[in-house]
Amino acid sequence: MHRLPYVALMLFLAAGPAGAHPHVIVDVKTELLLNAAGQVTGLRQHWLFDKNYTEAALEDMDTNHDGTFTSAELRPLTDENIKSLREYDYFTVVRQKGERVETSAPIDTDQTWSKGLLTLHFTLPFKHPLDPRKSEVVAKIYDPDFFISFALAAHNAARLEGNAPAGCAVTVKPVPTDAELESTRTMLATKGVDWQPENNEDFGALFAQPITLSCAS
Amino acid sequence: MRLLIRLLVVVMLALAGTAPVLAQDSAPASATSQTEATPRISPRQLLVPPKNSDGTLRTTPFTEDPVRWMAEKQQSFYGSLSQALRGLRGEGRARASWTLFLISFAYGVFHAAGPGHGKTVISAWLFATENELRRGITVAFLSSIIQALTAILLVTVLLGLVASAGSVARDATGFLESASYLMIAGLGLYLLATALPRARPARHHDHGHGHSHDHHGHSHSHHDHHGDHADCPSCAALNDGNGDDACGCGHAHAPTPYAVAGADWSWPKALSMAFAIGIRPCTGAILVLIMANALGIYWAGVVSTLAMGFGTFLTVSAIAALAVFGKGLATRLAGTNDRLAHWLNRGLRLAAGLLIAGLGLLMFLGSLQSSQTVM
Repeated sequence: MHRLPYVALMLFLAAGPAGAHPHVIVDVKTELLLNAAGQVTGLRQHWLFDKNYTEAALEDMDTNHDGTFTSAELRPLTDENIKSLREYDYFTVVRQKGERVETSAPIDTDQTWSKGLLTLHFTLPFKHPLDPRKSEVVAKIYDPDFFISFALAAHNAARLEGNAPAGCAVTVKPVPTDAELESTRTMLATKGVDWQPENNEDFGALFAQPITLSCAS
Repeated sequence: MRLLIRLLVVVMLALAGTAPVLAQDSAPASATSQTEATPRISPRQLLVPPKNSDGTLRTTPFTEDPVRWMAEKQQSFYGSLSQALRGLRGEGRARASWTLFLISFAYGVFHAAGPGHGKTVISAWLFATENELRRGITVAFLSSIIQALTAILLVTVLLGLVASAGSVARDATGFLESASYLMIAGLGLYLLATALPRARPARHHDHGHGHSHDHHGHSHSHHDHHGDHADCPSCAALNDGNGDDACGCGHAHAPTPYAVAGADWSWPKALSMAFAIGIRPCTGAILVLIMANALGIYWAGVVSTLAMGFGTFLTVSAIAALAVFGKGLATRLAGTNDRLAHWLNRGLRLAAGLLIAGLGLLMFLGSLQSSQTVM
């Protein structure tokens, strides 16, 4: 009968996990990879997760119980995450002239743990290298369902790595301000029910922060 | 712990009449038995829920993780709810209304199994106040109905007032949610307050005793025409497995903590509790109503919202029944020792009061920080 209080407790706990916030907040840094010919060959990404997700993810991952999490220890989780992200296209959409750029399976995948937070690293290679001098390259990292909140890091959110052609520069759009969101809302309110964003984009893309590589011609 | 969760899920399943779903999940029990050095990654640890190659979500087998299985079921119901609503546009009104009605009911049953809807509050209250299951069920019923009505009222008013109900409804829900948590915290404090002065054992005990006999006598004659004891649920729970004699629906109770049944019961109290639980309208209900309005079948939406409330009520009642059953077991064990039973009873009251107050406060603070639903 001394177990009784546990019964009450269990009634609470039983509800707990199911009610955990589905939201994950990710701070994103990226590198646009350029080859010797000045073409973009892929997008390297670093996703810094929030504390909540980090804690959930790291459960039972410290296999040698030394209080830290090495890349090797995190490997099974890294692989599972990368595997399941496949069906979500890694939440990455790259476009040139409005056309969606095809990507191959991610390479150089890794997860690191520092200052109590988990970061996922991976590179999405493009199937065909893109020449930024022909037309600007735009990458958006976002979840159309807002299950995960992606935001570009405040500093160094996008860098060029490799041989960038002269006059090319990468810019990132800051997190939308309330005023911007409001104007998007007003814009949407004027559209009919059947209105769709351009280039077959989904509505989530309207709120994403584009990373743009453009070259002065 | 796991066992109890499974038990809960099974009861819920029986209620929803969806037992066939279980069959799908019987297969991969062997998957759990792998014993490599590498840890098995649970879907809970992943960034995104895994999908099958055809784009559908990969579901967790019931045997592997019942809690997650339940959460997924809830999610998929929410999904089919919004999907069906969108799909209704082309269909006829009658069909649309029916679909809405049925899905809403199923959503109510499953959604209530997740956090919220006062299950825990009602169960803890039943623990704390010695009220009978019947009363817990009454409160569950009232709170479900109030919750449905709040949603209906809120949406009706909002639809009348503003054209863009979408964004405003969200804010209002947040406000009502916070208010609801505060009220729950208040209820917990009230429970604590009532538990504390009763520290002087003997007097309280006598007092309660008389009450109980009155009450039970009354209730029994009321239900006499039913011819059996099944309509006395707390008793049926107590009796589980044994003959009828031990319990006899109330009048032959051992002088256990059950003796105070009735002492804490009043309609205003029941109503205020139901109100505290029910004032936060369920987001699913709001979705149904707004969509029903958009589809031009607002009244079907109203009826569906009530059906959703009824589904919620069924699940909450089942869980309350479990709480009473667990307690009945414990008090019966303690029944041989009156003093022990009394202390157990008071301990439970205090613990439950603390639990409810703490929980309400936590949820209130949580709801202030983000508009996200905690409960």
